[in-house]
Amino acid sequence: MKCEDVRIQLLDYQRGRVPLPAQDEMRAHLDACPDCTRAEGVEHELTSVLEHRLPQHPASLALKRRLAAQWPAAEAETPWWSRWRPQLAAAFAVVALLLVATPVLYYERTASHLANARAGMVAEAVNDHLRLLGSQHPLDVEGGGFHQVKPWFTGRLDFAPAVAFEGDADFPLKGGAIGYFRDRKAAVFVYARRLHPISLLVFRADGLAWPADALTRIASTDAYVTAERGFNVILWRRGEFGYALVSDVNARELEQLAAKLTGGS
Amino acid sequence: MSSGLANEALAYADALHNLARYLTGSETDAEDLVQETYARALRAAHQFTPGTNLKAWLFRILRNTFLSLYRRQRHNPTVGGLDTVNPDVPGVASESWMLGDIELDRLRKVVAQELEAALMTLSDDARTVILLDLEGLKETEVAEVLGCAVGTVKSRLARARAALRQRLKDYGT
Repeated sequence: MKCEDVRIQLLDYQRGRVPLPAQDEMRAHLDACPDCTRAEGVEHELTSVLEHRLPQHPASLALKRRLAAQWPAAEAETPWWSRWRPQLAAAFAVVALLLVATPVLYYERTASHLANARAGMVAEAVNDHLRLLGSQHPLDVEGGGFHQVKPWFTGRLDFAPAVAFEGDADFPLKGGAIGYFRDRKAAVFVYARRLHPISLLVFRADGLAWPADALTRIASTDAYVTAERGFNVILWRRGEFGYALVSDVNARELEQLAAKLTGGS
Repeated sequence: MSSGLANEALAYADALHNLARYLTGSETDAEDLVQETYARALRAAHQFTPGTNLKAWLFRILRNTFLSLYRRQRHNPTVGGLDTVNPDVPGVASESWMLGDIELDRLRKVVAQELEAALMTLSDDARTVILLDLEGLKETEVAEVLGCAVGTVKSRLARARAALRQRLKDYGT
């Protein structure tokens, strides 16, 4: 193999795109040719420099909010059997057995109601997150650590939020604020993952239609994991409290934080 | 467009904005370009083939939008295609300094601002092919974005990287 042939394929070689026989030939050539080895080192260094030092320009939160607003909001999933609803209704009409039809219709309405309620809770969590970040002073209490943030809620809420995770190097606690979830007050703990803010809303869980199926096991808790408008959302209930975790960090990292919260709360 | 696809599309906002920022050189123009990209994607959603790469599809729309809306408005000497610019960039093999330890040493010392400045001196196409490669798109996907053959992607990427190395020679001296 000549030097020119090797140089042309260096990038492919580093990306593992050179087929095996040629790969072995290239490796042998590189072992024997100092110039090509240096050239490979330069290509490798250029890739590394680009990957690690080239400034990244992520979309601003305001742009993401505008994009989410211009796109259709996520709709609640339609049950598969809803396609057969007309036929079912006709069949039941023919049979006209009130004792059979009544429970089915009741179930249908309840399932639809629950699906809508579940979608509503997710939308509410995302809206709360956006409201908080969009406000001029997102945090009512900032910094100072967990033992300043948590006591700050005393007297401002009619409950003491059960949160034990104090934040760590991966997910530092940035502060807290009072928010609202549906018709009730919520304690909002704001954590961070790199530059991504993460809102944890803690509120009284009673009277809300909590998801009961399609749950994901996180630490010791069954949680509802979903995404809406580009934000990942995790909902769970523990005792008398409900929890909503919202952020634009990826789902895996958000689940890591949820595991810390559910493991310790 | 289904809600799942919409959510996945929105997850690529950061990557799209990054390319838009490097293409337009302006935060305001980049935001407008990304917003127009999503608007066009929404209108053309029925043309997207499920199972294909949504990210590459969005990048293609962004690039085409850039070409139709921005490039023609500008008078930047570097905006021509990759094949029409940087005639002074020599081939890799002909540049002895580029194969030596000096270049390696300079590359190791280059800082973020210098890297960005050097990248911005390249043509739009050169910047695009480098950034798409960094985004982890396969050559076939880059070819789909650029509307060219896979072999052309290989040569464009090699020339773009060589041009970038040449520009970086001017820094850190």
